[in-house]
Amino acid sequence: MTTETPSTRTLITPTGRRGSVEPYRQQSRSRWATALRHALMIVVVVISLYPVLWMLVSSLRPEGEIFGNPSLILTTFEWENYTHGWTALGTPFGTYLLNSGIIVLGSIIGNLFSCSLAAYAFARLRFRFQRPAFAYMLVTLMLPIHVVIVPQYILWAQLGLNDSFWPLIVPKFLATDAFFIFLMVQFIRGLPKELDEAARIDGAGHGRIFFQILLPLMTPALATTTIFTFIWVWNDFFSQLIFLTSPTNYTVPIALRSFIDAQSTSSFGAMFAMSVVSIIPLILIFGFGQKFLIKGIATTGLK
Amino acid sequence: MKRTILRVGAGIVAGTFALGLAGCGLGTGGGSDEPAELTDEDVTLRMYWWGGDARHQRTQEVIDLFEKKYPNITVEGEFSDWTGYWEKLATSTAGKNSPDVIQMDQLYLASYADRGTLVDLTDYDIGTDGMEESVLGMGESDGGLYAIPISTSAMSTIVNTDLLDELGVALPDNTDTWTWEEYQAWAKSVTDAAPSGTYGGSLAQNEFMLQLFARQNGDELFEDGKVAIDEETMTAFFQTALDSTASGASAPASAWSESTSLALDQTPFAVGTVASSFITATQISAFTQASGANLELLPIPTTEGGVDDYDYFKAGMYWSVSSQSEHPAEAALLIDFFLNDPEAVKIIGSERGLPAISTTLDVIGDDLTPEETKAVDYSDSRVPLLGEAPAIVPNGASDVDAVLLRYMQDVLFERTTPADAAAGFIADVQKSIDAAG
Amino acid sequence: MSIAELRSMANARAGRRRTKAERRALTPDNKPALLFLAPFILGAAVLTLGPILMSLYLSFTDFNLLQDPQWVGLDNYARMVGDTRLHQSLMVTLLYVVIGVPLQLGVALGLAILLDKGMRGLPFYRSAFYLPSLLGSSVAIAMLWRLIFGANGLLNALLGAIGIDSTQSWIGSPETSLSTIILLHVWMFGSPMVIFLAGLRQIPAELYEAAATDGAHAWARFRAITLPLLTPIIFFNLVLAVINSFSSFTQAFIVSGGTGGPADSLLFYTLYLYQEGFSSFRMGYASALAWLLLIIIGVLTAINFWLSKFWVHYDD
Repeated sequence: MTTETPSTRTLITPTGRRGSVEPYRQQSRSRWATALRHALMIVVVVISLYPVLWMLVSSLRPEGEIFGNPSLILTTFEWENYTHGWTALGTPFGTYLLNSGIIVLGSIIGNLFSCSLAAYAFARLRFRFQRPAFAYMLVTLMLPIHVVIVPQYILWAQLGLNDSFWPLIVPKFLATDAFFIFLMVQFIRGLPKELDEAARIDGAGHGRIFFQILLPLMTPALATTTIFTFIWVWNDFFSQLIFLTSPTNYTVPIALRSFIDAQSTSSFGAMFAMSVVSIIPLILIFGFGQKFLIKGIATTGLK
Repeated sequence: MKRTILRVGAGIVAGTFALGLAGCGLGTGGGSDEPAELTDEDVTLRMYWWGGDARHQRTQEVIDLFEKKYPNITVEGEFSDWTGYWEKLATSTAGKNSPDVIQMDQLYLASYADRGTLVDLTDYDIGTDGMEESVLGMGESDGGLYAIPISTSAMSTIVNTDLLDELGVALPDNTDTWTWEEYQAWAKSVTDAAPSGTYGGSLAQNEFMLQLFARQNGDELFEDGKVAIDEETMTAFFQTALDSTASGASAPASAWSESTSLALDQTPFAVGTVASSFITATQISAFTQASGANLELLPIPTTEGGVDDYDYFKAGMYWSVSSQSEHPAEAALLIDFFLNDPEAVKIIGSERGLPAISTTLDVIGDDLTPEETKAVDYSDSRVPLLGEAPAIVPNGASDVDAVLLRYMQDVLFERTTPADAAAGFIADVQKSIDAAG
Repeated sequence: MSIAELRSMANARAGRRRTKAERRALTPDNKPALLFLAPFILGAAVLTLGPILMSLYLSFTDFNLLQDPQWVGLDNYARMVGDTRLHQSLMVTLLYVVIGVPLQLGVALGLAILLDKGMRGLPFYRSAFYLPSLLGSSVAIAMLWRLIFGANGLLNALLGAIGIDSTQSWIGSPETSLSTIILLHVWMFGSPMVIFLAGLRQIPAELYEAAATDGAHAWARFRAITLPLLTPIIFFNLVLAVINSFSSFTQAFIVSGGTGGPADSLLFYTLYLYQEGFSSFRMGYASALAWLLLIIIGVLTAINFWLSKFWVHYDD
């Protein structure tokens, strides 16, 4: 495929980088096209967000009015679903939020700690077996957790630590999330080596270089790691399902699933209410961390 | 340097290996054949059960009573809901960390007993007078008594009389002896009189109903640790379900399939879109609360020209002692307390079902709610129809309910014929049993 | 390049092995690396490599967790050949991947292109579209999906509102249940869309202008410029999507109530693995299933990489 040689006429029009060659005719056509595009986008947004909005609205409706009612218009604000749902599962829902929070916090700290260390080694150091180790790390990106879950389960059972948070948090402290190692390696590679050299001339060892020079500069990568870890661990269902069996240890996803446990009694309104509660932290994190999130996704996508 | 790395690395991997393999599994616990004796030392027992809040509270109350009576014994209660219960029990047993006293279910009894993880309680001093022989027999496997039944349940047809009144449809006169065909014809008449989306009848779809159906036809579901039901009977079971769905007596396949994984108070019967269903009699309390309607218990339909004494009281749940327990005598004492101590029995009431020890019923008789009384009356009415207790679910067939449901779905969605499904079901369950042995 | 490295290169070309000193010069950081990589190495050995190997061993055994593993050789693998539920799960998962992934990527790409025209409110649209990706893998949304497509669900209510009387349970019917899950997957197009957007941003404007000057209209510009330059990103998204979809678990588990039904129409591979390992406690067989999954993903990824030769244009 050959690229066209750029024309000598490069136009910069007010509408943006991609200007058009014939501004006059294009303007009226493009205004119409833009309006159409906006309309289409709005339709897609509405359809896309409709399920979530319906859930939010239904959580504020009394139980009997939820089904058969597809409208998004609220006539009353019934908070009873929230109070009912909070205590519907025996233990107050706050316990589950706390459990999820503990695991998420531990995971974030673990990832930040272990992945940054490993990334420094891969990006800045030269050592024996570096290539195979890096290749191994990339391969584990493809590794579904289901391959290792049975032996891990047995391992933790032998140690008597099943039904605790350890099986979920310890792996994060041992750099098992190759995605973040990779993310940070790419990031560090973009930091000029001169900084390292300068520090080394001043007598700094690897430790000082890493902690005092590079780490502070890695804030965007660290932020991205924090946010993604939060989202993935908060939503993680499979591992938590396997390792947490006592109701008091349940996390939010497992607790939510109990709402449809065939043996218990429950209500949909309460379930919706607690679903909304469980989603709020995600939306908050998204709101605050959007910048890093989008940037993070984009950079990993673009090698 | 690199050799050290290699050696360390290999050591870690090997160590994980060894850790994982050594002490995997259990073998038989305990060791002596003699029943253990009670001691005077301080003993701590762990007790594990599943259930809802009401059960946790009441059980804890009884534990407190027990500790008062036997000051040298401390009991730590642990509980979970049904869904996580068996996984947790399996892992704690595998990790040599099993609780001493375990609430056990008929589906898993053979699996645990036959693998040596439960204590044979025959020679232990647990009072079981007042319990029917046939009921006690349901705690036996392979010649040993591995679980003591706590409660019994009879299968019944439950009917929403409020809904029937609303629709203006009456119950037929012959509910004492109605056949499957008669039941379905009646259910169809209810569907016809009802608005779209409401149906008259339900399907027989679990292991308890299958056992009863088999016995009505002179068969047994399991015998000698094998699947023993006749293929013809099995085919008839699936055919009955297919007829009911096709005729409109019960809900169409897709709606039915969705309803099989719903919570109790979201099931069609509880929300009032189905007029009758098959439940164990003691569940009438939960359903009355969920539906807020008047409910009646009736006998289940029978097979035309079938056996008369086909019924049995299924043991709802049991108490067992783990073979890993270091204090089996104290554990047995705890079980005896739960089953026989008058105060304990009063506290538990019928929360775990109707007590298997029928004399207990007299103790709690006055505290029964109207629904519980209905259940008791219904059970009493079934006594003349009781036959010998059937064999319990063999080791390896613990997922028989799930397998049955899968084949039912295939039949109702018309992907297999009842005959093929019957053959497939029998083969599948037998394969699992063979694999586990 | 340092003197040491040059000398090494010369030696290597002459076929001489490197001396220890030369090697040490090339990899001077072994000790610090060990320190920095200590968590990683420990994690790899105990939580990844060790379990992978143990998983392989277990796949040749019969293990029910309560008794010691019993060696059975290739029995588990032989059983796979005749296991109809396994075949069903493979089919279900393959259908999900083959239909869901292109559909999702197609929607993502289409919307990215539309959004890339310098629209006002881009950040708003981007965030709005990303939200489903954020929430979609959660249990809450899976349960919501159950209630949207159930017999009394939102979809039937909507259909009723426009006059179509439907009491069909979309999740209760084997014909339509998988479609609801695929729809859920497509709904989460926001994440690949953001990646596509970033990729589109990177395409230099001059290329378009040049093409426009030479009279190429929109569709031709798209085919000749946009698509080829996007192929590396499409490829990246494709590889990731295939790997992730094969591991999909939560949605199928919640919507089917853990059963994989109706009639095993939602029996995703990982759900079947879970049932065998953690419901029926046939851990030996579950380990064999896990290895099969690993092999399948490996093969598919390798195929993806091999095929990429033919359609991915790298801008080297």
